[in-house]
Formats: sequence, structure tokens, C-alpha cells
Amino acid sequence: MVSLSDYLILSSVIFCIGLVGIFVNRTNIITLLMCVELILAAVNTNFIAFSHFLGNEAGQIFVFFILTVAAAEVAIGLAILTLLFRVRGSIDVDVTNSLKG
Amino acid sequence: MNNMYTFDTSTLWAALPEIFLLSAIVVVLLLDLFLTKPFKQATYYLTQISLFITGVMAFNLIDQPQTIIFSGSFILDNMASVFKVFMIGSTMVAMVYTRHYLIQHALFRGEYFVLVLLSVLGMMVMVSGYSLLTLYLGLEILSLSLYTLIAIARERAGAVEAALKYFVLGAIASGLLLYGMSMIYGISGSINITDIANFAANADLASRETLILNFGLVFLVIGIAFKLGAVPFHMWVPDVYQGAPTSVTLFLSTVPKVAAVAMLVRILVDGLGAMHAYWADLFMVLAVLSIALGSVVALMQTNIKRLLAYSTISHVGFIMLGFVTGVISGYGAAVFYVFVYILMSLAAFGIVILLNKKGFEADQISDFKGLSKHSPWFALMMLVVMLSMAGVPPFIGFYAKFFILQQVISAGFVTLAVVAVVFAVISAYYYLQIIKSMYFEESDKDITIVAPMDMQLVLSINAVLILVVGIFPDFWIKLSLSLF
Amino acid sequence: MLENYLPIVVFIMLGLGFGAGPMLIGYLLGPSKPDEEKNSQFECGFPAFDDSRMYFNVRYYLVAILFILFDLEVAFVFPWAVVQSQLGWFGFIAISIFLFLLVVGFIFEWKHGALEWE
Repeated sequence: MVSLSDYLILSSVIFCIGLVGIFVNRTNIITLLMCVELILAAVNTNFIAFSHFLGNEAGQIFVFFILTVAAAEVAIGLAILTLLFRVRGSIDVDVTNSLKG
Repeated sequence: MNNMYTFDTSTLWAALPEIFLLSAIVVVLLLDLFLTKPFKQATYYLTQISLFITGVMAFNLIDQPQTIIFSGSFILDNMASVFKVFMIGSTMVAMVYTRHYLIQHALFRGEYFVLVLLSVLGMMVMVSGYSLLTLYLGLEILSLSLYTLIAIARERAGAVEAALKYFVLGAIASGLLLYGMSMIYGISGSINITDIANFAANADLASRETLILNFGLVFLVIGIAFKLGAVPFHMWVPDVYQGAPTSVTLFLSTVPKVAAVAMLVRILVDGLGAMHAYWADLFMVLAVLSIALGSVVALMQTNIKRLLAYSTISHVGFIMLGFVTGVISGYGAAVFYVFVYILMSLAAFGIVILLNKKGFEADQISDFKGLSKHSPWFALMMLVVMLSMAGVPPFIGFYAKFFILQQVISAGFVTLAVVAVVFAVISAYYYLQIIKSMYFEESDKDITIVAPMDMQLVLSINAVLILVVGIFPDFWIKLSLSLF
Repeated sequence: MLENYLPIVVFIMLGLGFGAGPMLIGYLLGPSKPDEEKNSQFECGFPAFDDSRMYFNVRYYLVAILFILFDLEVAFVFPWAVVQSQLGWFGFIAISIFLFLLVVGFIFEWKHGALEWE
């Protein structure tokens, strides 16, 4: 039997991978988008696990919305990416630093 | 027929402004598609009319009894209505300024207005959100529209980079916020703020439950701090403010702050008010760091948009100080500060936009050199705004800071107040620097003002309000206090 | 017992015949002059075996973006379809509003020429 804490540990591991990926990744913006997706996947795992163990559907409804919002977010991310490619000719993070961070 | 699935449509009136605005967005979007070039201005007027009608609808809902609809996920109360009216009003002012900028820089496109309307819709949902889901959805409608708005100047590398930066950091913030929400849901078993508040009020504050609640709370606070732009989650603010087209910066730096504060109130005050002692500690650190960094780093800026970004960070610090106090009058002071900040920020960015001309982007402090010779009236307006931001009496910014500090001291945080005052004095230096370059330096550039009359008029009223409300602040203070 | 399967055998034979017959006729009767262009993939495809780090045309992103957005509506339509008999007219009106908003988005992208390849 898989217990609630197993799901939570799994989701926190996925969450950390996503978060670390964003801060460590210095090469490609597509990878950044994938890391954001990982974070959202971790959140979804959390919600579904809680929803199952609480016997409450609100969490699953939340997941539906997170999924769609994530899709919209990726769509906008890709759109910004193509724009960046047009003005820069590259999607590397290193090149995009005309604004001092 | 199952009773579970019936829906009472008679409760929809509480969401009437949102429903109207959504319909208006559809109409504006479709109409703009079929308008030919000479009639493109119609989109602008239609946007203003839609905003106005929505604002009137929201205004009519003020003083209605508190109503919670959509199975507890949408609330109509005085705070929601007043915030909505204020947000719509400031968006209309921002749109007047924006039009001049868009025409000067050939960015006038129908989508711009549709995106602004969409972000207003998102903010209205946020302000009225009473479950974690509606709050999240409102936040995302707002954020997604803002990412796109910044990238609307698609030939400018700076704008696209700013959009990307905002997008990545905004996505991380949403992720953190959601993770916190999932924890809160898991421990309390509900996503409705009412249920969460009940749970938090009855939770045993020494048990393991509180540990998880606390764990979720930290993520929520980080997410909110990201959206507000508080130090150490402020990295995006200066870059985005500088890179975005000034009209977008104007919008971005003003209205969404109201929505972010509303979300803060809904989650942390309404929902987790019982946990105040836990999040107030976090807020104290965030507030002090924001005030300090915002005041000190701004001293070295030469770009006015970057400077105003750091000044925003320090203002956000003051707003957060109000929430540290944990008393209703403290929250009221914070809301009053938000109103004041937006009034000042609108005027400040309005004057920056005013100096824009075809092919000339006024975004350096040196662009203000000699403004007093060319346009004494607007130099005076800028003087008022800058003095008010620095917190000099009798301008409104002084009362806002005073009111916050008074609450902080009466809550017993005297050291905190002293630190805030010290940094406020430091920050006065860079505001005075702008005044100095306007009045005591000569410009080699030609700064004639080409802005249309309506913008000049609205801008003047905006700046004069800073003085007038500063002399008679009672109404606004009472209003802010009545919201809690 | 086994003769019950005869119709199936007949169907299999017919199916194979209909599939193979026209190809055979085409092969026997049609002219065959292969050249390099004809043997390559059709215009919209990629070479099947290539470096995995190849570049995609940016336009594919646009198609992907539009696809994702309109694909995910199913996530909301499907739960509605499951319980629509219980939701009645309210559910129908709600989903109609939802689909109407999607159609508005569709009209927008169509008018802007996002669906055209060139």
C-alpha cells in the first residue's frame, strides 16, 4: 500500500529537481520551461494525493485548472521564445543579458 | 434530477462587473479585428467606455451586505468593491497616458487594449477570490496578460528579454504559491478561505498539523513576495521596469499592486489570520530588506525607470510593514499606503511618458535636465510627485508613511520604525536629485511637450490630487480603515 | 464448429484483396520514373533518420502553441459530457459559453493569419 507520505516525498523530490534545474541551468530556455513544468507536476501530484486520501474532489478540480493554465503558460513561453529568437538569433540564457541582473 | 447539480442563477448579480467586462472584452477583440486602419482609435474609446461602465457597476455594489457565491469561491464585500473601483479608475488614467506613448512609438494595436482589459478582469477575480482556486486563476489571468503586454514591443530586444525574465520568475512564483496552496489544502481539507480560516482558528498551534501549515505558509509568503517584488524576491523588478515599454511599466507598477495586496489580505489575513505571529516574522524581514535595498541601490541609478523600480521596492517594504502590526488599523494603513503609492506612481510614470516623442524614449534622469525652463508647470508637477514620494509634508506621501509608522510604533516595534525612517531619509536624496536636475541644470536637448491636451489635463489633476488629498486625507484614511 | 469461422476467413481474404489489388494494379499499369525529389519525404516532413539535435523551423512552434491551447479544452468538455444528463440546461449553457469563448479565440487567430503557413 502506497501511503500519503510516499506521494508527498515523491512530489517534493520532483519539486526540488525543478527548482534546482531553474537555478542551475545556464544554457537553454527550453530546459527552463521544462523545469517549470516539473514544478507544476509536483504540485499536481500533491493535490491528487491529498484529494485521494481526504476523499475530497476539490483537489482534483484544482488539478484540471492547473493543467490548462500550465498549457497556456507554455504557449506564452514558447511565443516569447520565438520572439527572442527573431531579435537575437539565439535562445541561450547567456546571450540574453543586455539587462543587468 | 440530482439536486447537487442545481445552480442558483439569481446570485450572479454579485459578479456582474466581471461578467460585463468579459463580454466587453469579447466585443472589443472582435471589433478590433474588423476595424480598418483609420478607425483604430475606436478600440481605445471602447476600452475606456467598457472600463467606465464596469467601474460604475462595481461602484453600485459598494455597501451591499457581504455575499459569498459560487460555492464559497467568490466574495463580494466592501473591500472587493472599493478595490475594483480604484483599480478600474487607475487603469483608465493609465490608459490616457498610454495612448500618447503608443502613438509616439507606433505600438498602437488593438491587442494592447484587449490585454489590459484581460488583466483588469484577472485582478477583479483576484480581489473577489475567496478560494485558493479563484485566487490562483485570477493571478494567472493577470500574469499571462502582463507577460504578453511586455512583449508587445516585439522588435525591441530589451522588451522581449524583460518579458522572458518576468515570465520565468513569474512562473517560479506561481509554482511556489501553488505548492504552498497544495499544502494548505492537504492539511485543512478545503480550498475555501472560510474553511481554511475555521481550521486555522481551531488548530492546535503546537502540534504537527501546525508544522505542515507553517510549511505551506512559507511557500505562500514567498509566492506573494515575488508578485509584490519584495527583497530578496525583487530581481525581476528593475529589469522588467527598464525593459518594458514605459506605458506597460506604468500599468505594471501600479494597478497589479492593488490586486497583489488584495490576494495577500485574502490568504494571509482572512484565511490564515490565526497564524499571524508566524507570517509577521517573515514579513518583518522582507519589509526591512525591501526598504533598505530599495533606498540604497536607487542612489546609483541613472535610468529613471530603474530608479522608480527601486523606489517601488522600498514602497512595497512600507506596505508590508503595515501588515506586520497585526491589527486592523495597521492593515488599514497599508491599504491607504497602496492607494497613495498608486496615485504617486501613476503621476511619476505619466510625466516620464509625457516627455516621449516620436523616436525619442525619455528614460534617463538626464532627460529631465532643464525641464523647468521648457515646461514650468510639469516641472512643478514632478516636484510635487517627487517630494510626496520622499515623504515631505504636506504631500500625501508623508501621511501614508506617517500613518504606517504610527501603527508600527503603537504595535511595539519601535526599532523597526526607526530603521524605516532612516532609510526613508536616505531615499529622499535621489528624489531631490531629480528635482535638482529639473531646476538647476541646463539641457542641450530640445524638450518640447507634444502630448495631447487630455493627457496633460488628467496628469495635472493626478498631480494636484497628491497635494489636495495630502491636505485633506481624512476621507481616504477612513475609507481604508472601513475595509477590514 | 470450425465452419463458423468461414465468414471471417472470407472477410480477411476480401480485405487483403482490396488492399493489395489496387497497389498491384498501380504497380503493373502505372509509369515508374523515380527521381531524387520524388523519393524524398513529402514537403511537410522531416528526414526520418537525422541528427537528434537538428533545428526545427520556428513555425512548428506556432502550430504547437495553437494546438496545445485548443487541445486542452477537452479537459473541461469531457467531465461535462460525463454528467451532462444530470446537469441539464444549466450545464449546456455553461459549456456553450465556454466553447463560444474558444471560438472567439479561433476567429482571432484565423483573422490574424496564424493558420496560414506562409
